[in-house]
Amino acid sequence: MTDNPRPLYFDYAATTPVDERVLACMVECLGRDGCFANPASSSHALGREARARVEAARREVAEVLGAGPTEIIWTSGATESNNLAIKGAARFHADRGRHIVTSRTEHKAVLDTCRQLEKEGWQVSYVRPGPGGVVSVAEIEPALRPDTVLVSVMLVNNEIGTINEAGPIGALCHERGVLFHVDAAQGIGKLPVNVDEIGADLLSVSGHKAYGPKGIGALYLRGSPKNRLEPLIHGGGHEWGMRSGTLATHQIVGIGAAFRLAAAEQAAESARLGALRERLWEGIRGLGGVHLNGDPVRRVAGVLNVSFEGVEGESLLFALRELAISSGSACTSASHEASYVLRALGRDDQLAQSSLRFSLGRYSTAREVDEAIGLVREQVSRLRALGPVGAGGLQHGREAM
Amino acid sequence: VNVPTDRLDYSNEVRHRFEHAPRHGRLFAKPEELLSGSAGETQQGVRVEFEARIRQGRIVECRFRAYGCPHVIAAASWVAEQAEGRRVGDTDWLKPRDLAALLEAPAHKLGSLLVVEDALRACLGATGAPR
Repeated sequence: MTDNPRPLYFDYAATTPVDERVLACMVECLGRDGCFANPASSSHALGREARARVEAARREVAEVLGAGPTEIIWTSGATESNNLAIKGAARFHADRGRHIVTSRTEHKAVLDTCRQLEKEGWQVSYVRPGPGGVVSVAEIEPALRPDTVLVSVMLVNNEIGTINEAGPIGALCHERGVLFHVDAAQGIGKLPVNVDEIGADLLSVSGHKAYGPKGIGALYLRGSPKNRLEPLIHGGGHEWGMRSGTLATHQIVGIGAAFRLAAAEQAAESARLGALRERLWEGIRGLGGVHLNGDPVRRVAGVLNVSFEGVEGESLLFALRELAISSGSACTSASHEASYVLRALGRDDQLAQSSLRFSLGRYSTAREVDEAIGLVREQVSRLRALGPVGAGGLQHGREAM
Repeated sequence: VNVPTDRLDYSNEVRHRFEHAPRHGRLFAKPEELLSGSAGETQQGVRVEFEARIRQGRIVECRFRAYGCPHVIAAASWVAEQAEGRRVGDTDWLKPRDLAALLEAPAHKLGSLLVVEDALRACLGATGAPR
């Protein structure tokens, strides 16, 4: 095997390339002849022109989410949105209670934010996911307390693609008078995302997961600007005082165009990616000793997470370096601690460590999928042959967890 | 420019041994000429097995099987190769720190390389070993 300078891309859940159509919109806002002025410069026409582009993008994002334009706050990405939502809501409503509920399979942007609040005196309940990794009312309700102020649950799990039961959780939260935050970074373009159907009070999104640029995201805040959060960034009072800083017109125009396209093409794209994912799964499962991670039905179309018996994660990832994929293995760390998401689902260390996430996207093709199948079959077989007799104890067949 | 894009950086020695795995496999020898031993657990991420064919107190052939990262596979391959021709009781030549340097392994891999050493010692120190 030679090192391919351009691996086949199967990591769309990590990030996506900027769509050419999005790029064209962004370029209009960069050069000296373009819409480059500061959107806050209302004293001249160029500034007002930039402001108009920002507000048009705000309407585009709001429309995709079923929200009002004033309920959209620009941020640098989903990580900042999650921080602003959780810390901002917790601190603003601290007089109501200091307890938060979230799940163990959330993104680190949520978990680490909750850990920080714990250091500041809040209490956080981290619930285990239900069968297949799905978080539902059954897990959240027992964790609620009279002093719970916020529940934070992601819409789609970034590692296994499982879709959580956000709608019923949102209804429960409203019934109990608890704020509901949803990290929907992995949802845009993969399923319809409507803040009212979800019952979200706060919802985080990111541009680069949906063929927009990196460095831009948004936070939906129900009832904004009347409803408020404690800001994290001060200086200038932008975004109704909840997120100061000069607005990046080109990035904002980019996320607006990206969300508009993603929503318009979502249904057709999901059908196409679902077929490609099944082609990939059918090609790989024939190896035997391959486990599907996550719910086999309740998941987005483009994500396939599998574990292999009898192969070690770092070797597997290196053997498959012609593919750009994500691994549950902690390859570069001193510990062999594997994916915390798969461990929360009950996978043992070996299977969690030998997991791979294939995430397909807008530019994935059947030819690429077939190449990946061939490579995976070849390399998994080779590594298993290198291993001690009985390593992993092959138990052939499909199993969902 | 052909820029390596894999984020896992391995030396040429590791890459070669990972790809070709020289001395991998099993030995089919008379029981009185065969030593075998192992160390590690797959659940811990590393398991290595060695087999050695012994004649007149010397290792004539040595083979490995390994479950582990590329450094472990490369180390087991190198150790099996270097063991051949040596006396059974001679294991002083095997020093994990030297092996780590040879393979350009990062410091946190030393524990895994110790498992390779343990497996060879378990093989050569097997009860009833032919001398």
